[in-house]
Parts: sequence; C-alpha cells; structure tokens
Amino acid sequence: MTNTFIYKFLLSILLFISSASAMAELELRISKTSDDGIPIYLANIPGGANGIIEADLKRSGRFTVIPRNKINEIPTYGKTLNAGAYSSIADYIVRGKPLSGGLEVELTSTSDNAKTIYKISSNNNTRRIAHQAADKIYEKITREKGAFDTRLAYVTVTNKTSDNRMFRLYVSDSDGHSPKAILSSRLPVMSPAWSPDANQLAYVSFEENSSAIYVQNIFTGKKRKISARDGINGAPAWSPDGKRLAMSLSVNGSPDIYTANISNGQITRVTTSSAIDTEPTWSGTNSLVFTSNRGGSPQLYRIAASGGSAQRLTFDGKYNSAADIANKKLAFVRGNRGAFNIAIKSLNGSGADILSNGQLDESPTLSPNGAMVAYTTLKNGDNTLAVVSDNAEARQFLTSPVGDVREPAWSPYLNQ
Amino acid sequence: MKTITIKSTFAIVLSALLLTACSGQNVKESTTGSTTGDSNNSTVTNTTNNGGATSGTLGADGNSNVTTSEQEGNDFTYLPGANNDPNNTQDISLAGLSDPNNLLSQRVIYFDYDKAAIRPEYMVLINTHAKLLSKYPSLKMRLEGHADERGSREYNVALSEARSQSVKNIMVAQGPSSTQMRTIGYGEEIPIVRGHNTKSWQKNRRVEIKYDDY
Repeated sequence: MTNTFIYKFLLSILLFISSASAMAELELRISKTSDDGIPIYLANIPGGANGIIEADLKRSGRFTVIPRNKINEIPTYGKTLNAGAYSSIADYIVRGKPLSGGLEVELTSTSDNAKTIYKISSNNNTRRIAHQAADKIYEKITREKGAFDTRLAYVTVTNKTSDNRMFRLYVSDSDGHSPKAILSSRLPVMSPAWSPDANQLAYVSFEENSSAIYVQNIFTGKKRKISARDGINGAPAWSPDGKRLAMSLSVNGSPDIYTANISNGQITRVTTSSAIDTEPTWSGTNSLVFTSNRGGSPQLYRIAASGGSAQRLTFDGKYNSAADIANKKLAFVRGNRGAFNIAIKSLNGSGADILSNGQLDESPTLSPNGAMVAYTTLKNGDNTLAVVSDNAEARQFLTSPVGDVREPAWSPYLNQ
Repeated sequence: MKTITIKSTFAIVLSALLLTACSGQNVKESTTGSTTGDSNNSTVTNTTNNGGATSGTLGADGNSNVTTSEQEGNDFTYLPGANNDPNNTQDISLAGLSDPNNLLSQRVIYFDYDKAAIRPEYMVLINTHAKLLSKYPSLKMRLEGHADERGSREYNVALSEARSQSVKNIMVAQGPSSTQMRTIGYGEEIPIVRGHNTKSWQKNRRVEIKYDDY
C-alpha cells in the first residue's frame, strides 16, 4: 500500500515536472535600450497594457521610454491633456483605458497637441491586444508597419549530450510569452520556417532516423511529410506566394537547392554544383539567396528560382551564411577571425553592419518589417535567443530556464 | 567526382605505405606520412616496439598534428591481417567488433574544421571496417556524420553528411557493396561533449560507425 502510494506520488511529481518544463516560459532580460530614440511617455493604463507597449517600443531601438516619475500628475484618460506642457520631456504621450475586453489608446504629439485614438478589439491572448496597440503607435510615429503582434518559432533541447535528450518545437508571442510546444522528439528537430499566412510551420525532423521535411498547422497540429528522400532533406523556406518550399536535398549527390510544389510534392532542381548548396531564402517570388561553398568557403549567392547561373553576394569574411530576407533587408551569419556574428545589409546595397557581439551567434531571422533581428547566441554555455534592433540600439535576451533555446524563426504579420 | 576518385586512390596508396612501414622491425621512433594533396598538414605517427606488435594512435585533437600526448582516441595494438599480412583476414571477424584489442572496436573518425577530407591516420581504421563489410555481405552499417557548433546549422548538416560520404567512398573502394552503408548528417545537433573550445569542437567533429545489429 505504502509503496504504491509513494510510487504514485513520485509519478505525479515527475509528470508535474515534465509538463512544467514543456510549458517553460522564456525569461526575458533587456540588456540595452536606446537613450537617444524618440522620447515617448506612457501613462499608466489600468490592467497594465502600458508595460507591454513600453517593452515593445524599447526593443525596436527607435524609442526612449521616459520614466513614469518624470511627469508627476498627468490627467487620466478622458480628461483634457495640454500636451504642449510636456514637450521638453517627451515628443509623444500615450494614455488609454480597457474597452469591452479590448483597449482604447490615445497618442498625442506634444509639438502640436494632435491626437490619434485607436480601438483594439478583444483577444483570447490579452497580451496581443497590447502588442497591437504598440504596432499602431509604432506605425503612426515611424511610418513603418509595426511587427510586435507576431510570433516566434524556436527549438529547445534539454539534456543535449545524453541519451535522454529531448527536442521541442515551440511557438510563442514575439516577446517570448505564451509558449506552446507543437512537437517533441528524441531526435533532432531543426530549421523551422513560417508559411506566409503564419498558420503553418515547415521544419526538419529526424524522428524516423533520417532527415525529412514536414509541414504542420500550428493550431490543429496536423502535419504532412513533404520530402523524405535519400540523404539530406533540409533548410525549408516558404515562397512568398505560399505554393512552394525551397529546400536543400542531396538525393542526386552533393546538396543542391530545389523547390517543391507543396500541393503535389514535385521537386524542381535549382542548383547543380558539386559543392554544398543549402539554406535558401526567397528574395521575392522568383529569386533565391543561398549558402554555397563552391568558391572554397561558405558564401551567399543569388539565383533565379528557375535555375541558371548564380551570382556571389558576399566577399568580406571567410564565412557568410544562413541568409534571411524581409523588407529589402538581408540578415546573415558572418564568420571572421574565429567569431561568428549576425550581420545586416540592405538587399541591394553594399557593405554590412555587424549587429551582435557574441562568439558563436547564428540563425538570424528578421521581423517582417525588417526592424529587428532574432538570433541564437551563447549565454553561460547554453544557446539562448537574442533580439536586436536593426540599428543595434536595443538588445534583449530570451533565456530558457532549462537547456538550450535556439533557431528562432520570426513569423510574418498575423491575419488572425 | 573526379577529385574523390583521386583522393581515395591517394588514400589507398597511403594506407599501403603505412602497412609496409609498420611491418618493418625496429622502427625506432616514427614513420611520418604527410598529406600533400590536402590543405591541412596532417601527420601520422606510428611506433613499433621490438616485439613486433604494432601500435598507433587515433588522434582527435584540435591540432592537425597528432602526437601521443595530444591523443584523444584510444591506442590500438592491431592492424588488419594476422602476422601483418594484409591478405589474411582471420582477425577481421564479427567477434572483433567487441574486442577492445581489435581495431574493429574503434568506430569514430575525427575531422578537421570545415573539412570532409579523411585524415591519413584513419585510413587503416576505415579500410579494416570495409574489409569486415566485404567479408559479411549481409552486414549493414550507418555512417553518422557530425559537425562542431561553429557556423550555421544547415551548412553543418551538409558538412557532416559530406564527412560520412567521404568515409563511405573509401570503404566502397575496398570492395563492399555500397548498399551495405547508409550515410546520415546530423550536423551540430548531437554533440558528444559540451564545451565551447577547440578540444570539445574536435571531439564533436566526427563520423560514428554504427553496425545495425552489433
């Protein structure tokens, strides 16, 4: 009797621990914010939405949030605001109140007292309401679409050097909140890639003891195998029209870039080199940027999705790889003098800016507006996620309490 | 494809040289074979004692030069062919797979950074496993390639698969059917050791030979 009881007790603890780790929230730590961004003051909003909006604006690297105590008594939302009185403190003032499950937010310019009011409707995920408000404020001021109400996909690994290792594929809000595991496996899971409608993820899983590319609906969990050919099935990337997946396959020898028609699975070969060709990303509907070591070291190349000759894009640094493209910006990994960092450049421009300062940074992924880059870095010996603004003014870390968290993939804008 | 043929021919010649060198008596300090066709500067050191038993070391360190002090692999006191006769395969047996004194018990091949070329010191090991496959045509193996954590993940998958392909290409030249070997590239996903330094990286840059039923 006692033994059975103890056994059941231990089992319940075990189940509790495993479910807790499966839902583990990432710990967010802001390491750097801009102190010469656009000064903005947010009054307290009952319910706390202002805290979420502040954090969003901060991590864009474009705003400096003025501390609450800089203004003693701001009229509560609904009462008259003489914004000009605060023009020496902030360029903009935000006030708001909850409104039938959603939020009403007012943005006032202190230079001309102009007011804009946004009404955000209710949502099961209440944090998304605040992210949507942040997107409105961001767009009004920067004239560039906001990308806070988006998601991240990422991979976690626990016990990575033991036989108990466990890989999990997660989807969370773009700030790491509300994580949900959509896949777990004892064998590697890697390279998540979003569909343009943000409803599906393509990824690579070794669950059948060899690599295969799957497509899974993040809401229903329903998944479909797209390619499980001999050799490598890797690096899926969704075409902007959602009809094709670019990928790297080695079924015909060395790894080459192919596109697969998602509805019928038929593949079309894009590259034919005898070198390593991998990590394709779409540059518009008809062109791909990929990594190849055809010149002796890994570098980025561009090629028409229909094939033909490839044009080399990177010449600085011994190692340039893993490109991601959004809003005419290209983020990639640059290895130089033994360090691997995240670089960003204008898609058609020359030169590049280094955005990270770790030793082994990888897997850059751009927010859909190109204003932020999430990537993987090392912290205390484990992989952790970092988000940096494209001007390198703001940086935050998203750390898992257990094991590695890596390979972020930033979703497109959400439709629902 | 052409380069691979040339490389494996070169490798066979080199391994033959090694066998010849090791069979000599009283080879006092070392026989050094250095690769000239490759970009790295690997050297291999084999020492022979007076008793005629041959020993070698399989290096697995960040440096390309392998010496006894830097070794990470185990010593082995066996080379294929009893009495140093390469045509004698009596010790090439399934039992040898679990005999720590038999070279067949060694199943890991280490690589240089961002390279899939086989270091010359592993030629004997690879050829010995290939001979086992030839002798037992129903025997099947997986060649599981791995990379260290540096560089991007999918590139590392490709690199690690190229490493397992390099091993397979050399084995096929020894006679077994290519259907006996399956290659897989795990990239940097399954490190064998933690740590972010040259020593850990070397241990993680590897191909593991795994027999299906042994």
